[in-house]
Amino acid sequence: MSDVFSVELENIVKRFGNVVAVDHVNLKIRENEFFSLLGPSGCGKTTTLRIIAGLEEPDEGVVRIYGEDVTDVPTHKRNIGMVFQHLALFPHMNVFENIAFGLKMRKVQKEEIKKRVKEILEIVKLEGLEYRRVNQLSGGQQQRVALARALVIEPEVLLLDEPLGALDLKIRQHMMVELKNIQRKVKTTFIYVTHDQTEAMTMSDRIAIMKDGKIQQVGTPLEIYYRPSNTFVASFIGEAVNLIEGEVVENGLVDTSLGTIHCAGSLTKGRVAVMVRPEMVEIGDKLYNVDNLFRGTVQSIIFKGSYIEYRVDVEGNTFVIHKHGSAELGRLHHLGDIVEIGWKKNSSIIIPI
Amino acid sequence: MGFSDTLLKHIRRNVTVKVSLLLIPPLLFLAIWFYAPFFIVGLYSFDMINIQREIVFKPSLIHYLRVLSWTGAMKIFLRSLYFAGVTVILCLLIGYPVAYYISFKMKKYKDLFIILFIIPFWVSFLLRTYAMMSILDERSFLNVLLTSLKLIDSPIRIMYTDTAVILVMVYDYLVMMVLPLYANLEKLDKTLLEAAYTLGASPVKTFLKITLPLSMPGIMAGFLLVFIPAVGEFVIPELVGGPNNYMVGNLIYEFFMGARHWWIGSALSMLFIVFILSLVITYVRKMGERGLAF
Repeated sequence: MSDVFSVELENIVKRFGNVVAVDHVNLKIRENEFFSLLGPSGCGKTTTLRIIAGLEEPDEGVVRIYGEDVTDVPTHKRNIGMVFQHLALFPHMNVFENIAFGLKMRKVQKEEIKKRVKEILEIVKLEGLEYRRVNQLSGGQQQRVALARALVIEPEVLLLDEPLGALDLKIRQHMMVELKNIQRKVKTTFIYVTHDQTEAMTMSDRIAIMKDGKIQQVGTPLEIYYRPSNTFVASFIGEAVNLIEGEVVENGLVDTSLGTIHCAGSLTKGRVAVMVRPEMVEIGDKLYNVDNLFRGTVQSIIFKGSYIEYRVDVEGNTFVIHKHGSAELGRLHHLGDIVEIGWKKNSSIIIPI
Repeated sequence: MGFSDTLLKHIRRNVTVKVSLLLIPPLLFLAIWFYAPFFIVGLYSFDMINIQREIVFKPSLIHYLRVLSWTGAMKIFLRSLYFAGVTVILCLLIGYPVAYYISFKMKKYKDLFIILFIIPFWVSFLLRTYAMMSILDERSFLNVLLTSLKLIDSPIRIMYTDTAVILVMVYDYLVMMVLPLYANLEKLDKTLLEAAYTLGASPVKTFLKITLPLSMPGIMAGFLLVFIPAVGEFVIPELVGGPNNYMVGNLIYEFFMGARHWWIGSALSMLFIVFILSLVITYVRKMGERGLAF
């Protein structure tokens, strides 16, 4: 991985009236990285992106693009590309004119413009649609035009503000793979803002989780999923999570209302939460080879296609368990069954509260 | 019987029929108070109504030929176009920045400013014109003030000149330019401008390439709303213009009310209407071709 940083944010603060939208954000985004800003709506992710674009001015802090301080450089002089949430295609121009706009502003020669528009249309798979009006295109095609328009100027950084939000699920899934492929092909830093964790997990090299204007954690999708740095990240990421509060008594041992839970080693002391992902929990009539074992009652069973979601009550605590594999489907537990649930100690992670 | 049944069914099902029923009263109104008088003017212009106010079926182009061969009328005609043209351009040059500023730069008091802008236009058109006269006059408050402050040597004479006519027309019609422009700029998606900035367009380029072309429908609406009444204006030149500032409206007025020659007046009116209509239609077509019509 590159050690060159394409975008650096240093202590960025942005206030809107009394609201602190971005609260001392520090980020170092690597060259050619697919980086996502992920968080619930109103967490400041879009404002952060707009600050990188120069569309918002930070109240405090420094923005650097490839080491150069651009904090006071207006948007049109920053070498960035941006794909907007509602695309913002120019309605009075056709596909070609939309894509060529940035090149014309850069005073590129006519022949060169034609060549580069053609190339980028091939990359986004829109060959032959040059002279269509943008309102004659489907949602997915408009998406590609917006992407092509931002990419054709060969920006140092491409900023994407929830660009897939308006598309329906199937096209969105397809575009996710496509976007990642395009990013590999054009070799540019992508900074992607989304509230959809599937999008972030699917495409990103690294993800920054934001809440209330603050960065909660920066890491690879794996790190964020399996090693969340706090309970917010743990419950925000993934479909569901089991969190049990307790007190560390010894390295890897946490005292909880359910008894002592064996966990992976951790330096954290004091009050903590123990996190177990639903797919790490075993369920059965009789379990062996688990470090933590509890008995409980099946509260609900939901068939989700590739897995079954059980909710099991253990002394007033509800555990969510995802059971994968067709073999298991033959041995369904029933509502009200008394079952054993359990997991290995490496599956339970200690999170500071 | 079968046929009338299906017809009734069709009418009952077809909602657009009900909607078009709603159009009957306004159409009837227009027919009686607009199309019928217009038709009568047409009859006069073709010499089909005689001096006893009887209809005679002997159409003739004599009145048209007289108007067309009369250079004085043509001069007044051109002057009207010139006055209206200058008025519409000045309204655009003043109105666009106003509409732009209120729509783009103001955050809180948009509605207030638009209302402040509209309020003077709640006052009668005639009253506003008289108010302007009190400023333009040689012995006006403004002239007295400027001379007593020794800013000017002698009072500025604006009344009874081209300038007076155009100034008052701009003042009277400005709101007709600002309102459609404002409405148009308000619904312009501001992220389009941001998109242009991210593509390297400076604010000036963004205005020229994005804002201006996208506000063409507003400009067009404003143009028509100012130009059409301005070109037919006859009160303003009558009140603040001199004998050399006559417009077509005054000429037509003279023929109908002064000379009582309804035939020439009608021919003038018809020529005028046809000319303005063809001008407007070409204009709308041209804009429509570029996909910029309403």
